[in-house]
Amino acid sequence: MAEEEKVRPYVSHGTAMALSIWGIVLVSVVFFFVYGLPDLASDRSSQDTLYYVILAISGVAYIIVQLILGTFIFRFRHRDDAAGSYWHDSHRLEVGWTLGTAAVLVPIVVSGLVIWGDVKASTDVPPDAIVIEAVGAQFQWDFRYPGPDGAIGGFQPELYSLENPLGIDETDPASADDFVRTNQLVLPVDRVAHLRLRSKDVQHAFFLPNFRVKQDLVPGMETSVTFTPIKTGEYEIACAELCGLGHYRMRAFLTVMSASDYDAWLAEQAAQN
Amino acid sequence: MSEGHDDHGHGKQGFVSTYLFSFDHKMIGKQYLTLAMMMALVGGILAMLIRLQLGWPGTLWPSLETFFPTGMASGVMTPEFYVMLFTMHGTIMVFFVLSLAPVSGFGNFLIPLQIGARDMAFPFLNMLSFWTVLPGAIIILISFLVEGGAAASGWTAYPPLSAIRSAIPGSGAGQTLWIVGMVFFIASFTMGGLNFVVTILNLRTKGMKMMRLPLTTWAQFVVGVLGLLSFPALAAGAILLLFDRGLGTSFFLPAGIYIGDQLFAHEGGTPLLWQHLFWFLGHPEVYIIMLPAMGFASDIIATFSRRPIFGYRSMVYAIIAIGILSFLVWGHHMFVSGMSPFLGSVFVMTTLAIAIPSAVKTFNWLSTLWKAKIRFTTPMLFALGIVSLFVTGGLTGLFLGTNATDIQLHDTYFVVAHFHFIMAGAGLFGALAAVYYWFPKMFGRFMNEGLGKIHFWLTFLAYYGTFFPMHYLGIAGMMRRIYDPNTYDYLKPLQPVNTFITVSAFILGAAQLIFVANYFWSMAKGRKCAESNPWESNGLEWSAPSPPGHGNWEGEIPEVHRWPYDYNNPDEDREFTPQWQPARVKARG
Repeated sequence: MAEEEKVRPYVSHGTAMALSIWGIVLVSVVFFFVYGLPDLASDRSSQDTLYYVILAISGVAYIIVQLILGTFIFRFRHRDDAAGSYWHDSHRLEVGWTLGTAAVLVPIVVSGLVIWGDVKASTDVPPDAIVIEAVGAQFQWDFRYPGPDGAIGGFQPELYSLENPLGIDETDPASADDFVRTNQLVLPVDRVAHLRLRSKDVQHAFFLPNFRVKQDLVPGMETSVTFTPIKTGEYEIACAELCGLGHYRMRAFLTVMSASDYDAWLAEQAAQN
Repeated sequence: MSEGHDDHGHGKQGFVSTYLFSFDHKMIGKQYLTLAMMMALVGGILAMLIRLQLGWPGTLWPSLETFFPTGMASGVMTPEFYVMLFTMHGTIMVFFVLSLAPVSGFGNFLIPLQIGARDMAFPFLNMLSFWTVLPGAIIILISFLVEGGAAASGWTAYPPLSAIRSAIPGSGAGQTLWIVGMVFFIASFTMGGLNFVVTILNLRTKGMKMMRLPLTTWAQFVVGVLGLLSFPALAAGAILLLFDRGLGTSFFLPAGIYIGDQLFAHEGGTPLLWQHLFWFLGHPEVYIIMLPAMGFASDIIATFSRRPIFGYRSMVYAIIAIGILSFLVWGHHMFVSGMSPFLGSVFVMTTLAIAIPSAVKTFNWLSTLWKAKIRFTTPMLFALGIVSLFVTGGLTGLFLGTNATDIQLHDTYFVVAHFHFIMAGAGLFGALAAVYYWFPKMFGRFMNEGLGKIHFWLTFLAYYGTFFPMHYLGIAGMMRRIYDPNTYDYLKPLQPVNTFITVSAFILGAAQLIFVANYFWSMAKGRKCAESNPWESNGLEWSAPSPPGHGNWEGEIPEVHRWPYDYNNPDEDREFTPQWQPARVKARG
């Protein structure tokens, strides 16, 4: 190192580094107030609450730690009078911040597990829930409704064909009144919906951004999601797992209707069948 | 153990044995670094093309048709080309850049110098490891040219997409070459890991106790263990995937798969098995990339703060704890995969537990800066950048490691933002900091400090500009790996964010060219470094000549008398006291 650099080793870069870090913190935090989660349209508000709790905790930690980093860089960028200190251990401090970090994490873990338990308790589907089969395939969504008998018929992969794309087993009496809508899911508001998800080909993920619902579809096994729409309206359904060239356009729509509109729609579909 | 070194002596050697088939750990380290830099250029160009598409989806770029006649036919990017771009960007960057540069490059160059050995324990194996990874890299690059193009199932290569040829165009020869290339990479990396572990355990010079190792070497030691234990799982997975593709087995394929009006005869497998095998490697791999960077940051921050690293012992324990925990967290990539929800809950606990040693490291770095006397050299700026990026990326891990909040954010740009800060950011800034810091030792010349400063500022600011806004995209619900976000009405308002990110990414990419130019220019024309210890540092590597000759030290290997962080020790008369300086015979206190 050249002599003058040893005396004043690029102090201006220390000032610039501190200012950059402070500036980044300021700008990055402001935009969290501009961009937020899509409007919530399901009963999964607990997931959002936890999101905001973690946002608050990590936000405070982010601001404090980055500010300290910037401040230390600025404060200790150069000192004519003093040498660097030889202080390099403090049992009390180290135990303090280890336990402190753990203490912040425990409530996050616990509340996360409780909410996860609620969301995933799909074995507790109530008897009046609407059960629909959602089938993912490159690159569309098919929704099979049970019809008036309330039961969805079986399917056989051997029956897949261009005429019977879902492989519906017509010999199953439950299949008789089932009907299928492509890329169009309709649900009534304020009633539990239970979707049984299966894939015909590769993996997909059923993603309802406004409903805080995401679940992979795995060939060879059935997965499911359970949620309750709380707002009527039109929403977009996305595929969130890479499934091929058309992954980006594997889009469908969810219409949430009032209970009476939904009954009328169902009757109309049954009549068409 | 040192058979390779003594056999061919210290005399003048020919071009082939010096530059090509060298046994010398320093040359092998440089070979790895050069390869990583070449691969980074390719991976970087792929990233620029990805950003081009997302910044201005559907725009015509007729001039690009010349370079990519099929992918950019008539100037519009095709969806299949886009999928290949991000698949190969991820593969190249994670394995052939961020693993090769900090681990294989600097691990090989530094370990013998830092522990006081004349070479690695198995020099022939070391040479072999480079000559095994090179064909892997070539195979990966060639895959762009085969029919159907390069692999297109994401860098995670989830079956059935990666297992069935008709699922996607890249699932033909391109995917096969991807698997073969990865097997070469894994074989090479396993040889390297073995060398790291054996060398560090057995070849330390007199006085170099384990608790006197620099944190860089501690990190490389744990990385060696991680590589040895985790990569074989992916090797097994990759070979089973080859069987599923070519031999009709069904490890990852269940019954009832129907693609292109064809029902496949597979039965009994599950795609989730691949995910388990992949992430059993994949998560330790994240720390394979990050731990060396954390080691570099520790050594560089101590040197230029003129302060001992704070909490050395807890730093070592944190590295070990992170290494162990990294094997117990892979399921957090699979919360919404269909894996048992109960298992998911277990992975939440182990995942958030890893935040504790990570926080300890951060607090230790901050405390090292307390009452420091900082010298803002280019390597120091990059090391401080690592701390800032690590804090940002670490905190966003809380959202993704908690399963209840991961449901919404999984497979969105929030994840892309997260891993570019924590893993890619640490890996990139770590490698760059290391190059600037150890360049005088590698080549006997300094890198140009002015160009280095420009490179740092553009890189640091553009890095935040590129990757921080991706958090907002993810929160707003933008999925990863989509060719055109404007397909969705709710994503259309985000286009200005995407355009901003693209502009930042272009600046970030262009800034790296300054680095490449500086690197090669300085190698030939940089300011000469006559001293062995230009930064007034304490690590043992600074006792060897710059650059060290074959065998590293001309005479005896120096004996080690202290830890590597004795800066401003009040018992000593100098501001820094290197490891090889004997303790002064004087009564303490």
